[in-house]
Amino acid sequence: MRVAVLLKAVPDLVEELVLDEESGSLQYDEMSYVPSEWDDQALEEALILKEESGAQVTAIAVSTGDVDTMLFTALAKGADHVVKITGDFDASMSNWQQARVLSDYVREQDFDMVLSGVQAIDDVDGQIPGLVAGFLNWPHASVVTEVRMGGDSKVLLRQEYSGGLVAEIEVESPVVIGVQAARKPPRYASVAKVRQVAKSVAIEEVSAGAPAGPAFADIQFVRPVAAGRAEMIEGDVDAVADRIVQILADHNLLRRA
Amino acid sequence: MARDLLMALTIALLLGAAAFFAARMLPLVRVMRRARPTSRLDHWPRRLGFMAGQVLAHKRLLQMKMSGVLHFFIFSGFVILFIDIVDAVGQVFAPGFNIGPALDCVVDIFVALVLIGIVLAVYQRAVLKPERYHGSDERDGYVILGMIAVIMIGIILHESFYPFAAPLLFHVRPGLDPWGFLGYALARVWMATGLAAHPAIAETGYITGYILDIGMVFAFLAYLPTSKHLHIFLAVPSIFLHKTRPHGELVEPLPPEEGMAIRSVADMNWKDVMDLFTCTECGRCQAVCPAHASGQRLSPKMVIIELRDAVRRELAGEPPVPLAGGVVSAEELWACTTCGACQEACPVFIEHVPKIAGLRAALLEDGEIDKSAQKVLVGWDRQGNSFGQPVRKRPAWAKGLDVPIKDARKEPVDWLWFVGDFASYEPRVQNLSRLVARLLQQAGVDFGILYEGEVNSGNDALRMGEYGLFETLAQKNLAMLEKAQFNQIFTTDPHSFNALRNEYRKLGFERPVRHYTQAFLDLIEEGKLNPSPLNLKVTYHDPCYLGRWNRVFDAPRQLLERMGIELVEMPRHGANSFCCGAGGGRIWMEENGVSDRPANIRIREALSLEDVNYFVVACPKDMSMFSAAVQSTNGEERMKVIDVAELLAQAVGLNEPVETAAAT
Amino acid sequence: MGPILIVTESTASGITDSTKECVGKAKELAKVLGTSTVALGFGPGAVDRLRRLDVNKVIAAEDGEFAVYNPAVCENALVQVVAETAPFLTMIPNTTMGLDLGAGLAGRNNIPLIAYCSDLQEQDGKITAVSQVFAGKLLARVPVPGDGAIVTVLPGSWPTGEETGDPVVETISGDYSSRMRVIRVIEPEKGDVDITKADILVSVGRGIESPDNLPLADELAEAMGGVVSCSRPVVDAGWLPKARQVGKSGQTVKPKLYLACGISGAPEHLQGMRDADLIIAVNTDEEASIMEAAHFGTTVDMLDLMPALAERLRGG
Ligand SMILES: Cc1cc2nc3c(=O)[nH]c(=O)nc-3n(C[C@H](O)[C@H](O)[C@H](O)COP(=O)(O)OP(=O)(O)OC[C@H]3O[C@@H](n4cnc5c(N)ncnc54)[C@H](O)[C@@H]3O)c2cc1C
Ligand code: SF4
Ligand code: SF4
Repeated sequence: MRVAVLLKAVPDLVEELVLDEESGSLQYDEMSYVPSEWDDQALEEALILKEESGAQVTAIAVSTGDVDTMLFTALAKGADHVVKITGDFDASMSNWQQARVLSDYVREQDFDMVLSGVQAIDDVDGQIPGLVAGFLNWPHASVVTEVRMGGDSKVLLRQEYSGGLVAEIEVESPVVIGVQAARKPPRYASVAKVRQVAKSVAIEEVSAGAPAGPAFADIQFVRPVAAGRAEMIEGDVDAVADRIVQILADHNLLRRA
Repeated sequence: MARDLLMALTIALLLGAAAFFAARMLPLVRVMRRARPTSRLDHWPRRLGFMAGQVLAHKRLLQMKMSGVLHFFIFSGFVILFIDIVDAVGQVFAPGFNIGPALDCVVDIFVALVLIGIVLAVYQRAVLKPERYHGSDERDGYVILGMIAVIMIGIILHESFYPFAAPLLFHVRPGLDPWGFLGYALARVWMATGLAAHPAIAETGYITGYILDIGMVFAFLAYLPTSKHLHIFLAVPSIFLHKTRPHGELVEPLPPEEGMAIRSVADMNWKDVMDLFTCTECGRCQAVCPAHASGQRLSPKMVIIELRDAVRRELAGEPPVPLAGGVVSAEELWACTTCGACQEACPVFIEHVPKIAGLRAALLEDGEIDKSAQKVLVGWDRQGNSFGQPVRKRPAWAKGLDVPIKDARKEPVDWLWFVGDFASYEPRVQNLSRLVARLLQQAGVDFGILYEGEVNSGNDALRMGEYGLFETLAQKNLAMLEKAQFNQIFTTDPHSFNALRNEYRKLGFERPVRHYTQAFLDLIEEGKLNPSPLNLKVTYHDPCYLGRWNRVFDAPRQLLERMGIELVEMPRHGANSFCCGAGGGRIWMEENGVSDRPANIRIREALSLEDVNYFVVACPKDMSMFSAAVQSTNGEERMKVIDVAELLAQAVGLNEPVETAAAT
Repeated sequence: MGPILIVTESTASGITDSTKECVGKAKELAKVLGTSTVALGFGPGAVDRLRRLDVNKVIAAEDGEFAVYNPAVCENALVQVVAETAPFLTMIPNTTMGLDLGAGLAGRNNIPLIAYCSDLQEQDGKITAVSQVFAGKLLARVPVPGDGAIVTVLPGSWPTGEETGDPVVETISGDYSSRMRVIRVIEPEKGDVDITKADILVSVGRGIESPDNLPLADELAEAMGGVVSCSRPVVDAGWLPKARQVGKSGQTVKPKLYLACGISGAPEHLQGMRDADLIIAVNTDEEASIMEAAHFGTTVDMLDLMPALAERLRGG
């Protein structure tokens, strides 16, 4: 069983999102990047799968910036192999384009399963696993919280719905899975181990042609109006209660039976 | 004839015991030789002096009264036992040999003391049952006490029959020896009852006593290597081989290709291995351990015993079990606050904390760590702070000041202030940081900070087993320190203090570092700050990384004195201070298994003092920990947690309204 | 211009609010754009469920293979419906279904997708989608291309539409089978609540004063459709289980509403709830730090406010 895990770096929300307020464009060069947290979950689930049933795990990232540390970290955690898809790409590369490049690579290879984070903070134009599945025309399930091997190249999944409802799904590979959470929290890769891996193992580089154009040419970003200090609700208990009910209504939070 | 037999028996026993002892000790020596190196043979004079104080004067042992006294009795007995062996064996091999009345007398005095010691020890074990013995090998304890008792009885017995048996066995006629008063008294009894007159009885009595004495001594020798009483042999060398590198340094400089992880016995250094076999299972470490007191599974004693037993099992040919997570559970390992109380209490100077940190490092390499703590490690790697806050916000606390703080990266300063994570990011402590800045400004100190250039010191990362991350952080700070021009460095954070002072040495940083309590005291001595008396009654909590690990006990106390503050000490203070529970990364970890938080235990200790309403701290983490503890022990009415800087600000008339969480 | 297609979703209690929100918005847009609305529903009984929707047309896939939601089967049907109806906009609620179908359809039919849409604005016949990204820190304004797009819509984006329509009803059937099979659907266990999954949290701190007052919080939470969480001292006192604790040493929550009652807002607490969408603080102390983090605050006594609020919410 060969498992591909698609990884991607996203802007670090702890640091500032650098926005040119006038043009509404993000200053991609001025931001710092971290691995998308859901991709971490996907990688963890793949590694659990490897421990359970000996899957071969390949972590793949499109070189939209410095993705080496992310890939070495995947190796340090236990991935068998890492691939960096290079080309004329940068941090502004859209999900649509990345999914194209990734699906082209996956199609050529002989993967039985593709795992990736169900979403990322920056997927304005769609989530990677869904798009990749669509481009490949493979079945796909999102919001998955468990992946196991069944018999005869079958894969067993747990998919979650709102309200805590869970479905058990069986699917014949190949399949694309959007992972919401791994069965266990992602493991830690110590700095020393990542360093050691970086010294001893090489990243496989695969070059890809120019990506297709983005789905949308002109996306503008704006900051939502920031909430400052609390707006104080004045009056007696009844007045306050009335006002809160009103606020709930404004926020669509009144329970509709 | 009988004498020949006795001689043959003595020699056979001796050889047998020696062979047995050697055969059992050799594997240990081999394990130690496989272990990592550590330099423990330097500083001879210092080591000898230290050994004398600890061995001969029982300095540390006597910190626990009853145990110390009874151990001193038994220990002295062992020294004296040696004289007795020479005497007894001499009598057999060189008829008429006598070691002299003075020594005879000393032997008997000590036999009496040993017997008293044994009675006390049995009483302690069987009746008092201190909690610290929980988990120790009780049987072993009794076996040893029994053996010693038998030896003592043997001594007196053969001594008492000697005058009557000697003419028959050795053809000499020693008189009664009143100096050996116990034997003398018993001999009188034999005479009075007429037993002395029967040659058969006299001979049997003597030989029985001799065999009980010498035979048991040799049996003891053979038994030792599998017993915790191996400390009889190892304790003294172990104390000699104690750590002489800076106390607060967790690990010696590591060769780049080697991590600090302890996975197998071979990953420990040889002194670590020796420590395991030196442990006396006395449980003093367990008795002072905050993690143990809070109901967690950790006991420093059990960590040592578990490791020792694992080594023993391996020596017995059993397949090795991973030390981290197997022999010692992850739960135990992550419970440690690295407070160092265990090491402080251990009479044979076992170093628990480096072992625990090494085992943690092994867990970490396998990715096993508390998830909140993991986030903190990732945060240090990315942003350099434990708060998950942006780099740019590190100096945000300094914004509210009237006089801006110099940027030491850009202009030379006299004092460089290493602020630390908590003082930079934690809102309650930020107030204190501003106060410290204003105090320095009032004193006219030319000081600066590194602004965004500072990152966490790495002290906690190292103690969580992340040597690589520690190095990364330290190198970032050192690069900044290299650029900055300053004359002195000080810090408000004991954890940073420890790293800068003890851990950064291995990376080449050797400048003297002061804690702010020391720095402020200096300012007062120099007349730059003039506090007027505050007339308060307070208690003071020694932070582990200021007190125990760095021996700064006096500066904060003198500082309080200079402010006219009356200090009422808690029962546990100074080197015996009781940890708040935050260290070693604990502050970020789940509280699984904690039934009573160390900080709450500590606050209750303070609440038991009469008329004390201020709990003075000198560590930013303590501010957070104890403010919350005062709330959860419902002590807000009685006790207010206050930082020394706040007191000083009051004393010098910087009328900052005192802001602590305890304020109501 | 093609119609606006809404992929509907229903649960045991009927069509979801999110679906109804899309229906309402679709109708409004269809009117200005001069096009029609179509609702697609899956599963037995879909015709009955959708027949009152305020759309022009209903397409129902009622065959047995739709008996339980199967992402791949539904996607196959959707792909075909979209190919046939060529909608200008395809609106899908951004639930598990939206995450399944939206991107899959986009990839397969090569139609651009706008995810996490919280609004669709029309100006001069052009539609701009507003999308909430970067954990709500930024809004993306995405112009919908002339030949249309798929949008997955965040629940709570618009008021729900009325169920007063009388659409044309069409059922479809065909071979939508897939390699994917749903084995079974499991109802959530009734254990202790998972406060990280709740949309609404009524959180109590030491201001609750005594465990005897906890029923007030329970009743309020019940009336709001939320659950009760708390600060650490409340757990320490043994009044609520550890699983309910919000903060540094407890859970990190991000509900739609966090109603903080009698919580001072210590940094360790804020750390666990700062990112809630809406924070309302009830604290008699106007200076309490919780007010810095909250969107709305009030200084009335929580013990009076909780029952008053519960009563209003129950009544209406
Ligand atoms: C390492 C560490 C980890 C911690 N982890 C957590 C954690 O995970 N979660 C957590 O919550 N805390 C945590 N704390 C504790 C934290 O520091 C505070 O002690 C705690 O959050 C305070 O809880 P509180 O707000 O309920 O109580 P208080 O601070 O006492 O606040 C009570 C508030 O209620 C208000 N009030 C009183 N009566 C009324 C009334 N009738 N109506 C309205 N308002 C009223 C008061 O004005 C006051 O502001 C941690 C502390 C440490 C050191
Ligand atoms: S360092 Fe402190 S917490 Fe850790 S084992 Fe020793 S006494 Fe216990
Ligand atoms: S480690 Fe030291 S203090 Fe602890 S039981 Fe052993 S000898 Fe005693």
